[in-house]
Amino acid sequence: MEERIYDLIFICRPDTPEAEVDKLIALLEQTAAERGGRVEKAEKWGTRKLAYRVRRHREGYYVYLVVHGTRGDMIQEMERRLKVADPVIKYLTVRLDDELKRQRKLAQRRERRAARRTRKPKSAAAAQQAAS
Amino acid sequence: MTDELKPQSDPPAEGAVQERARAAATPASARRSKRQFFRKKKVCRFCADRIDFIDYKNVELLQPFIQERGKIVPRRMSGTCSRHQRWLKIAIKRARNIALLPFASEI
Ligand SMILES: [Zn+2]
Repeated sequence: MEERIYDLIFICRPDTPEAEVDKLIALLEQTAAERGGRVEKAEKWGTRKLAYRVRRHREGYYVYLVVHGTRGDMIQEMERRLKVADPVIKYLTVRLDDELKRQRKLAQRRERRAARRTRKPKSAAAAQQAAS
Repeated sequence: MTDELKPQSDPPAEGAVQERARAAATPASARRSKRQFFRKKKVCRFCADRIDFIDYKNVELLQPFIQERGKIVPRRMSGTCSRHQRWLKIAIKRARNIALLPFASEI
C-alpha cells in the first residue's frame, strides 16, 4: 500500500497540564510506530476559543499532528486511544494524500502551461504552417 | 429652444446613487441585466490567487466565506467558481468538525 498522510487534530480540556498533553503526543507517536507509521509533525497550538461548546467547554487545548502510515489499522488504533484518553474532548482525522497529490499535479500543469506560453510565438507560427 | 426642455441623459459622474434609484423603480426582470453586469466583474478569489488546495486549518481564509449565522456564502454572492466552491465547502465542513468554525445556527 502506498503511504498515506493524515492530519490528526485533538482537543484537550483547557485545564489539562502541559505534561499530560506531552504524554498523549508520546503515546500517539508510539502507537504510530507500532503500526509501521510515524508522526511527522506535532504542533501544540495551545488554548483556543471553540466555535461552539464541546462537553460544556468554551475553550480547548489544540494539538495538531501529521501522521504518515501504510497500514489501515494505524489511524483506527490512534483514534481508539484518543477516544479513551481522559483529557481529550474532541478529535478529527483527515486523510490528505489524495488532495496533496492533486495539488502537486495542478501546480505542475500550471508550470507547463506557463512554459508553453513563453514559447508560443514560435509554435503558433509552426501550427499555421502545418494548417496551410 | 426645445433642446433645453428635453430630459438630459444621466451624467456618468453621478453613477452609483442614481443607478440604485433607477433599479428600485424598475421591475425585477428589467433589473436583472444591470445586476449581471456588475456581478460579472467578480472573479473567483481562489483562481486569482492560484490556490490548488484550500486548507481547513486556515480559519482566516475561510471566515469571509461564512455568514453571520454560520452558513456558507453562496457562490453567486462570493463569485467563487464551482470547483473552488466545492473545495471550500469541504474545508468549511472539516473546520466545523473540529470546532474551528461554527455550525449554521437555526435561530
Ligand atoms: Zn476558482
